[in-house]
Amino acid sequence: MNQLQGKVALITGASKGLGQAIALAFAREGAALALCARGELALHTVATECRLLGAEVLAVPADVANPADRERLVSLTLARFGGVDVLVNNASTLGPTPLPLLTDTDPEAFEDVIRVNLVAPFLLSRSVVGGMLLRGSGIVINVSSDAAVNGYPGWGAYSAAKAGLDGLTRVWAAELAGSGVTVASVDPGDMDTEMHRAALPDDDPAALARPEQVAPAFVLLAAGGAPGSRLEAREFMEKVGR
Amino acid sequence: MIAVETEFPLLPAGLRAPRPAERRGIRRDHVRLLVIDRETETVHHSSFDRLGDVLRPGDLLVVNSSRVLPAGVRAVRASGQVIQLRPCVRRDGSWDALSVQAGPPFENIPLAGGETLRIGETAVLVVGRRPDIPLLWRLRVESACDLDLILRHGEPIRYSYVPEPLPLDAYQTVYASKPGSAEAPSAGRPFTWELLSALRRQGVGLAEVVLHTGLSSFQDDDFDEEHHLFEEWFEVGPETARAVNDAGRVVAVGTTVVRALESAATWEGRVLPAQSWTRLAIGRERPPRAVGALLTGLHEPQASHFDLLRAFVREPLLRRAYAEAVEQGYLWHEFGDSALII
Repeated sequence: MNQLQGKVALITGASKGLGQAIALAFAREGAALALCARGELALHTVATECRLLGAEVLAVPADVANPADRERLVSLTLARFGGVDVLVNNASTLGPTPLPLLTDTDPEAFEDVIRVNLVAPFLLSRSVVGGMLLRGSGIVINVSSDAAVNGYPGWGAYSAAKAGLDGLTRVWAAELAGSGVTVASVDPGDMDTEMHRAALPDDDPAALARPEQVAPAFVLLAAGGAPGSRLEAREFMEKVGR
Repeated sequence: MIAVETEFPLLPAGLRAPRPAERRGIRRDHVRLLVIDRETETVHHSSFDRLGDVLRPGDLLVVNSSRVLPAGVRAVRASGQVIQLRPCVRRDGSWDALSVQAGPPFENIPLAGGETLRIGETAVLVVGRRPDIPLLWRLRVESACDLDLILRHGEPIRYSYVPEPLPLDAYQTVYASKPGSAEAPSAGRPFTWELLSALRRQGVGLAEVVLHTGLSSFQDDDFDEEHHLFEEWFEVGPETARAVNDAGRVVAVGTTVVRALESAATWEGRVLPAQSWTRLAIGRERPPRAVGALLTGLHEPQASHFDLLRAFVREPLLRRAYAEAVEQGYLWHEFGDSALII
């Protein structure tokens, strides 16, 4: 139960869906948490739930795509906890739904998706990796998607951003090899979340995994480092016998 | 207060680096490096990324991992006048801050004891002037988290030779991880992780201290020349203390590191873990005991910084080095070139 005792985890997009499930799972395992999301009320609810599980929690309402918000998130976290051991870049956006074809995609919406799903994870990682390298330990986990490797109609902006994020993950991992800092991306698979319902309203929720079933993969990664740079959550769990 | 006589000519204004290396078209680690060799009494010219040429296995680089805050904080007076507060010393919701104009030339704006300012929605009470440094105002900040207030309402402190505002990120070192400085500990700014990793592979150690900087200027030339000292918070952890005591040669990256390590040093030069306030001034009267070499930015001879350099280098050699740096067009200040006193 205490796999993350003594560790500090910064989780973006922590107010709902997978981010919320990861926050709760990390709290159960003894991690101290810095949680961020745009929705203040939902964020504080999750923060309270985590505190009830015994975790020390810093909740920072912030938009990861906004540079000043990012600096506030990073500095408040570092000032409160002294460092970050685990960064989970989970916050992401689909852009406008119903999902448009590329030919019909609004240019600003496209850029917005890239900013939130690709640029923000890069810049947040860059802000915390320096401290991790000084200490010689840490892990960054980027939440990917099967849209990163498959061409699903309507998923253009999201797909491009997640493919870019996978590319970043591979390069980070190669550049940081041997430093004690690892970077991995995880494809959590299809889950029953608000985002999934917005993208594919006709899917049967009963056929989908629940976020709390996937969160343990993140606990294992955070506790033990990454066996490779791109993981599918389900396969990873099978591999480690859970 | 320390009086410093300087017979140095003024620095030509054109040599003040107006923006970071990356915005001048070169990598941050490609700034120039002036190497001042005390043993051979020679000065030679290199590039920052060639630092490995002059360091040897067993050397220990000690960096200041303090992260800069946007410490020019927008505040509003009861009259509606917008000012900028620059907290120099912060403790427990109490600031000793400079009060200046909200934009260039950022001249001092006197406040009144007892008046209330606002930073966003937060009330700030002006208690009065700080007795020993009257340009600083004692302020009581009615906020549970004054750091959040600074991060929400501040911008990086900027001096007149930097023509346009820069994002805070431009001021950070690549290892900045302990938020708290009012101004960038800029000596380490040219480091890239590529260079740091290469130096590590070469057998050069790397350790961190924290010293949160206060203000380098009170925006008043005459007052600045009097070199008023104020306290700054520093931390030297047990691992760093051990590494320093075991190192062949301790290379401080910046004068902030010198102050932190020397504040934690016994008179024989052994460093003990410490975290405290310091107002230690290193100079010829108090030479360094633990630090052996210094990597630093280039700052004007008038700056108090200079007295510290004289604790490392005999003055004739230092004067020669400075003259060569000016002649060769080295760039000065936080975005400029570097010097290594080895």
